[in-house]
Amino acid sequence: MQFDVKVKDAVKSFGNLKAVNKLSFDSVPGVNIILGPNGAGKSTLLRCIDGLYRLDNGSLKVMGVDPYTDNGIRTRMSYLSDNYALYDYLDVKSNLKFFGRLYKMNDRNTIERSREILKKLNALEYFDKKVYELSRGTKQKIALCRALLNKPDILLLDEPTAFLDANSSESIRKLLQEFSEEKKTIIWVTQKLDEVTRFNCRVAVINKGNIIKDSTTSGLYSTILRNSFVNIRLASPIKHEIAKRIPGFYSSNSREPNAIKIKIRKYSDINKALDYLIDKKAFVVSVDYIEPLIETLSWRNNGV
Amino acid sequence: MEFEKSYAIAVKDMKEVFSSISIYGPMIGVPIFFSILLPILTFYVTIYAAPAIVARITQLNIIPSGLSGFGNISFMTYFSVSIMGPIFLTMPILTATVIAADSFAGEKERKTSEALLATPVRISELLYGKILASFIPTIFLTLGVFAIYGGITDALSLNAFGSIILPTIPWLMMIAVSPFLAIAGIGVVVLISSHVRGIKESQQISTLLILPVLVMPFISVLGIAALSFAFLLHLIIFLAIIDVVIIYVGVKSFRKESIL
Repeated sequence: MQFDVKVKDAVKSFGNLKAVNKLSFDSVPGVNIILGPNGAGKSTLLRCIDGLYRLDNGSLKVMGVDPYTDNGIRTRMSYLSDNYALYDYLDVKSNLKFFGRLYKMNDRNTIERSREILKKLNALEYFDKKVYELSRGTKQKIALCRALLNKPDILLLDEPTAFLDANSSESIRKLLQEFSEEKKTIIWVTQKLDEVTRFNCRVAVINKGNIIKDSTTSGLYSTILRNSFVNIRLASPIKHEIAKRIPGFYSSNSREPNAIKIKIRKYSDINKALDYLIDKKAFVVSVDYIEPLIETLSWRNNGV
Repeated sequence: MEFEKSYAIAVKDMKEVFSSISIYGPMIGVPIFFSILLPILTFYVTIYAAPAIVARITQLNIIPSGLSGFGNISFMTYFSVSIMGPIFLTMPILTATVIAADSFAGEKERKTSEALLATPVRISELLYGKILASFIPTIFLTLGVFAIYGGITDALSLNAFGSIILPTIPWLMMIAVSPFLAIAGIGVVVLISSHVRGIKESQQISTLLILPVLVMPFISVLGIAALSFAFLLHLIIFLAIIDVVIIYVGVKSFRKESIL
C-alpha cells in the first residue's frame, strides 16, 4: 500500500491572507521536501495535511481519508515541528509514556520503543531527566522519538533541524534517512537549501501558497547553481596572477591568496577551476558551495 | 470516545500541576491557610464582638427567622454556615479555574497543543481529559478545606460551648454544591480558553465567576433568602443544568485551531 498524501486546489486563508492558495501536491514514497521562504505557506500546508487546520476550499486526502475529520489517520501519521512541544516539568519517560498512551500503546512497549530510538539518536542517557534540564538539540531528539513512537507510515516534518547544532542535525537526518528507505513517506518543509542537498529526493518549491516548481535535488541544483559562488581554500597561498586566471575568478582574500571566491554557472565550472589549480601545483583544502538564501532566489529568472 | 485517552490526559495534566511546588503551593496553601484562619477569627468574633454585631443587626431588623435566640453559639453557627460557607465555596471555583486555565491556555502558550493534536485524540476525549484534570484536584481540595474548617470550628465550639456545631444539613449541602460549581467554572474556562491568547487572560476572566458566589453571604445577611436545604437543592439543580449546557456548548464550539 502506498502511504500517500493527495492535495488538490487547496485553499486556506487567515483573514485576508491566503496562506495556501489553490495548491495541488501528490506525495511520492520516500522524502518529499517542500522548500520555500518564510511566509510561503509551508507550515500551514503541513498543518492542513496533519488535520490541524480545516481547508477553506479544495480537497486533501491522506491515505484516502480527510485528516481533519478522521482522527484515526493520525495513528499512522506523525508530525514534528521546529518547536519540540514537550512538557517541560515532566521527565522524558513520562512525556513519551503519555504520548504512547494516546496511541493506545502499553507503557512497556512505549518504553522499549523509546529506548530503541533514543539509542540511535545518542540520547538514551536523558531518559529519566526532566525536559527543562535538556539542551535544545536533545529536546528535539526526544520530540523526534515521540513522532516515531507509533511507527508512522507518513512523517510530517516542519524544519525539525532549524535550531540544532551540526551533530544533532546529522543524527536526526541519519535516522530519517533510514526511515525513508522503508518506502514510507516523509514530507519535510524547510527554507534551508542546505537541507535539500542532504537527500537525493523530490523537491517542491512553494511560494505565496502555491507550488511553483516540482523537481528533484539534482534538478533544483542545476537551476540554482547558475550564477552562484564557491569558496576554494588552499593549503598555502598562490600568486595573485595565478589566482586571477582561475576560470570564474571573482575575488580573493589578499594579494597572495589562500582563499578564493569563484562564480560558477554550472557544476563543471568547479571542476575546471580545480583542474587549473592542481595544474598550478596548488593544494586544495576545501571547496565550499555558498548557499544562497532562499529569499534571494528569483525562480523565474532561473528558468523555473 | 475512548476514556483511556481522557484519563491519560488528566493524569498528565495533574502530574504537571503537582510537579512544581511553585505551581501547586499557592493553589493549595492559600485555601488551607484560610480554612484554619477564618474559623479562628469566627470564634473570636463570636466571643468578643458578637453582642455588638447582634445589636446592630437587630436594629436593622434583618435577622433571619431561624436565629431567634441569637446567643453566642447560634451566632457562631450562623456565621460558620451562612457567611463562611459561601466564602469557602469560592475555593472550588478558584482552584478549578486556575488549573483549567493553565491546562487549556497553557498548552496554547507553551505550544504543546500542536503535538497533542497531532495524536489520534478526539476533541471530546481531549476536553473530558482536561475537565477531569481540573475537577479531581478541586474536589479533593474542597473536601480537605471543608474538613479543616469544620474540624477547627467544632473543636473551638466544643471547647467554648460544650457542643459541636457542624455538620449541619445546609453545610453538607454546600459541600454537595461544590462539584457543580467546579464544573461550571471549568466549563466556562474551556469556552474562554479557546478565544484568548494566554493563561493570564483566561485566568483574569474566569476569576469573575466567584462574584455570584460572594453574593450568597449578603443574600443571607440581608434576609433575601436563607441558605437552607431547599435553597441549596434548587441551586444544585440549577447548576447541574448550567453544567450540562456549558459542557455541551464547550464541546460543540471547540475547534482545534483555537488552541494552536
